[in-house]
Amino acid sequence: MNKRAGIGFYIFLVVFVFFVMFPFIWVFLTSIKPQGEIFNNFNWFTANPTLDSYVNAVERRPLFRYMLNSFVVSTLTTIIAIGFASIAAYALTRLPIKFKGLILGIILAASMFPQIAIISPIYNFVSDMGLRNSYMGLVIPYITISLPLSIWILATFFKKIPWELEESAKLDGATPFQTFRKIIFPLAAPGVFTTGILVFIAAWNEYLFALTINTADKWRTVPVGISFYQSQFTIPWGDISAATVIVTIPIVILVLIFQRRIVAGLTSGSVKE
Amino acid sequence: MVAPALILVILVTLWPVAQSFYNSLFDYRLTDPSRSERFTQSNIDLERYATEYFYISRDLEDLSAQAPDDETAQAVNDIQTEIEAFHSELIEMDGLEEQYGEVDEMIASFTAISDRDLKYAEVDNDWAEGYKDFLAASNEELIALSEGAPEEDFSTTAGNVAGTLDTINSAVIESNFIGLSNYSRYLQDARMWQSLLNTFIFTIASVAVELVLGLAIAILINRVFIGRGVVRASVLIPWAIPTAVAAMMWGFLYDGQTGIVAHYFEQFGLINDASVLLSTANGGMFSVIFADVWKTTPYMALLLLAGLQTIPGSLYEAAEVDGAGKWQQFWKVTLPLLKSAILVALLFRTLDAFRVFDLIYVLTGGGPANSTESISIYAYITLFSQQNFGAGSVLSVIVFLCVALISTLFIKFIGSDLFEGRSR
Repeated sequence: MNKRAGIGFYIFLVVFVFFVMFPFIWVFLTSIKPQGEIFNNFNWFTANPTLDSYVNAVERRPLFRYMLNSFVVSTLTTIIAIGFASIAAYALTRLPIKFKGLILGIILAASMFPQIAIISPIYNFVSDMGLRNSYMGLVIPYITISLPLSIWILATFFKKIPWELEESAKLDGATPFQTFRKIIFPLAAPGVFTTGILVFIAAWNEYLFALTINTADKWRTVPVGISFYQSQFTIPWGDISAATVIVTIPIVILVLIFQRRIVAGLTSGSVKE
Repeated sequence: MVAPALILVILVTLWPVAQSFYNSLFDYRLTDPSRSERFTQSNIDLERYATEYFYISRDLEDLSAQAPDDETAQAVNDIQTEIEAFHSELIEMDGLEEQYGEVDEMIASFTAISDRDLKYAEVDNDWAEGYKDFLAASNEELIALSEGAPEEDFSTTAGNVAGTLDTINSAVIESNFIGLSNYSRYLQDARMWQSLLNTFIFTIASVAVELVLGLAIAILINRVFIGRGVVRASVLIPWAIPTAVAAMMWGFLYDGQTGIVAHYFEQFGLINDASVLLSTANGGMFSVIFADVWKTTPYMALLLLAGLQTIPGSLYEAAEVDGAGKWQQFWKVTLPLLKSAILVALLFRTLDAFRVFDLIYVLTGGGPANSTESISIYAYITLFSQQNFGAGSVLSVIVFLCVALISTLFIKFIGSDLFEGRSR
């Protein structure tokens, strides 16, 4: 459907993008207002922009520590999940395995599991292993989210790689593992990378496990850390706005660089070619 | 080659669900020492039992010697004989003599016992029940004696011994297996039904709005235009930021005093007071749904747009030649061809919305007055704020069953389409 875009269409686009971005715009404008102007004042722009809120946001709470925690946990999760999932997805799409439908069904079901249904046994397990308030304490439960998700997405990408290459590799005497490593993996690398980004974002955003397992402030991740900026009595909106801007910047960069890949990954799992 | 991943998947998801279900059959609370483990059989905490048993005989002898009259002395002696009889019955049980000896030795050398298998031993249910009844009765008897006795020494000792009997009593742990009674309790719990209803309202309303808006946006932007990249990025950012961060942002925008959205809504007459959004039940529910729509509609539009792009343009041309209007084209061409993409997007979104936790937890905390509390939040509060793992697991199992039911219904509609293109 290659309709031409008229002027009305562009006006619609601008309005649409403005509405979607409005919360970010407003939060950013708030973050550079002086404390006194945040309350009882709905002016869009301040005459005296200041970075006080940013200084407070990182001094009153260990925001950079939260970001480091999130980064380490998400990276470890991504590496482990992709490692296991790429092997499994390859086998599921290529090798003659019985009960493929059933296995894929289990994997899909697992990716939709409500986290609340598994949190208490996972909590007991992590506590028994002495892993509360540590990186591994979060990486292990995050496998529950990321492994099924990555198998599911990777399977779609692997499907698109032509069979012929594999057959010729087989004829040349390559073992299935060699075929995987030398032929499939290089061809599948873009798909693997895309899946990696999605898994990374999913792990970065996770809240429930992070809230229950890593309760010490030092070990909190970004989402939990941000939600604890508000205390019982006061809500320092200036600090929160600044903190929100700081933690959103890496995501904006990630999205700007990889937007095509992200869209490809998101849609591959749900749309038939 | 699938095995490692599959085993991991089963280990980290199916096994915990089975555990949750198992937990839900017990009166299992982390805060209560006699209920902090799951026992299907009566058990004895040998560490506590042995510690107390070591003193009880001598204490009872002392007490009997201090007794003001023969009758009291006899009563005390009777208690002692009974306790010794129960003890020898205990020792005669399978393998208990050795285990008791080992525990006793460790206590004598002041070693704390960390091995659960050594610390706890299964005992005969009848014995446990009989012993607990007897200990409770003797405890009362001694307290009565202690209160009735004029001699201060005797009274104090009797009180102490009564306390020891109470400790022994708590060392004998009857099974906390309660079968399905947690379930029957929650099926009659108004708060459970309210939270389930809230979850359904949230899920249906937000997913419906997201579908309609998402479809409209997808159709509108399914054309060639300049600046696709900007639009795509602006659509992806709300999806990519953590839900908790989005919830904090909306909390600020909705705030009755400083919130710009609340302020504009009031200005435009949508609400009569800026504080309505977060302080009333309807306002709270609206706020939560609105924030969710903002965060996920772009994502929905993206999924549907990908589906739209697979529909060949020639179909529309053919429809136009046949004289079909735009509206007819939408119903006869777009929707039928988009059906499977819509259903899959709906499935993912519905299940995601049904387990909503962080958005509501951070934005309203389930309030005001539990009016936005989702079932996941209720389960979380029961599990971790009240540390009641037995009851909380019931709620977890309920969430799980609902999700299973919803997916079964969807899969019936979608059929095997979902797996096509993935398995050969």
